[in-house]
Amino acid sequence: MKVQTSFIVKEYLRPKMLPSTWCGGCGLGIIMGAIAQAVHFKGLDKDNVAMVSGIGCTGRMSGYMDFNTIHTTHGRAPAFATGLKMARPEMTVLTVMGDGDAMSIGGNHLIHAMRRNIGMVAIVVNNSVYGLTGGQTSPTTPIGGHTTTAQSGSFERPMNLEALARTAGAAFYARATVNHTASLTKLIERALDVSGFALVEIISNCHVLFGKMNQMAEASTMIAAMDEDTWRTNPTLLRRAHLPIRLTSPESPSAPVHALTEMDDVEDESRTWRGVIFERKGSVDLSKRYYNMLGRIREQQRAAEEMV
Amino acid sequence: MAQVTPGIYEVQVDKNFCKACGLCVAWCPQDVLAEDDERYPFALHLEKCINCKLCERHCPDFAIEIIAPSEVLMIEDILAEGA
Repeated sequence: MKVQTSFIVKEYLRPKMLPSTWCGGCGLGIIMGAIAQAVHFKGLDKDNVAMVSGIGCTGRMSGYMDFNTIHTTHGRAPAFATGLKMARPEMTVLTVMGDGDAMSIGGNHLIHAMRRNIGMVAIVVNNSVYGLTGGQTSPTTPIGGHTTTAQSGSFERPMNLEALARTAGAAFYARATVNHTASLTKLIERALDVSGFALVEIISNCHVLFGKMNQMAEASTMIAAMDEDTWRTNPTLLRRAHLPIRLTSPESPSAPVHALTEMDDVEDESRTWRGVIFERKGSVDLSKRYYNMLGRIREQQRAAEEMV
Repeated sequence: MAQVTPGIYEVQVDKNFCKACGLCVAWCPQDVLAEDDERYPFALHLEKCINCKLCERHCPDFAIEIIAPSEVLMIEDILAEGA
C-alpha cells in the first residue's frame, strides 16, 4: 500500500514550503513521506497530531509537515513534547530529532522522557554525522568513519541508543532504515499504537558529508549499502530464545559500516539489527496514569466532603 | 493479487520539486526510468512499468508519481472535493 504522492503533498505537507532545503537524495524526505503515510493508515485526524522538532537538518521537518508543529530549541524537543502531552493528553505527539539533537545535546532530556515513559513517538534520525554544521563527528559516528573533524577515522566509541532505551525504560524500540521504506512506514505505525514512550531509530544517509569521505558519495550507493549492513530481526524468535541484552554489531551499534568493514566476513546476526528490537508489555503512558490519579483524588475529596 | 498489466501507467515528474538525486532511477526494477543530460529522470521504457511505486517510495522530494488509470479518476475526485 502506498498513498499517492500528490495526496500526501496536498493533505500532509505545506506545498508552499517545498521543495525542501535538504540536499538532493537526503533520506529525510523519505522519512517525511513515511510519517505522513503512517498517520494516514492509522486514520488519525491531522489536527490531533502534534510534531515537535529540535534543531538540525531533521528539525526543519516541522516546517514542511502540516500538523500542529513546534520548532524548539536544540535538544529540548522531548522536554517541550512532555509539556504538550501532559497538557493535551488526547493528542498524538511525534518528536523528531537528529542524532546530534537526541544523543549529544539532548541526551539528558531523552533519557528522562524515556524514564517517565511519557506517551510520545520519538523518531531519531541517525545519519552518523552533524549534517547542518558541516559534517563533524557525532555520537553515532562508527569507529573508523571519516568525518571533517576525524580525517583519519573516528576512534571514539559510538553511543548505543538501543541499550540506553532498554535501561532508561522506553516502552518500544524499533530500528528502520530509509532503504526499507515499506517497513519504515509499518514500524512508525506500530510505534503509534504504543501507550508510552516509543522510540524509532531510523538509519538515514548523509552522502554529501559522511558518504563523500567514506567511498559512498552517491545517495543511491549509501542507501543501498544499508541493506547489507543491517539484518532483519524476527521478533517471535527473539521472544522464544530468551536472549539476554544483545547488542548489535559491537564496533558500530547503530550505523552503516559498509565502507569500513568487509561485510562478507560479518555474520548475519552481528550486523545492525532492524525491525522491532523490544517492546515492553503492559506499559501505560504517564499522562494517562497522571489523569487517572487526579480522578481518584477528586473522587476521594468528593467523598470526604459528603461525609462532612 | 491484482493482475499487473505493464504499459498502462504514466510517470509524472515534477521538475520544480526534483533535485536530480538519481534514487528513482537506481531503484526502478524494470529499468523504466533513465536520466537525461541534466540527470532528471524520464520514462525511457514506459511499456515496462508495473506500478511497484518503488520510485515514489524512495523519492525524498515528492517529485515522481505513477498514475494508474483507475486512480486518475480517484485523484480527480480528491481535487474536486478540495476545490
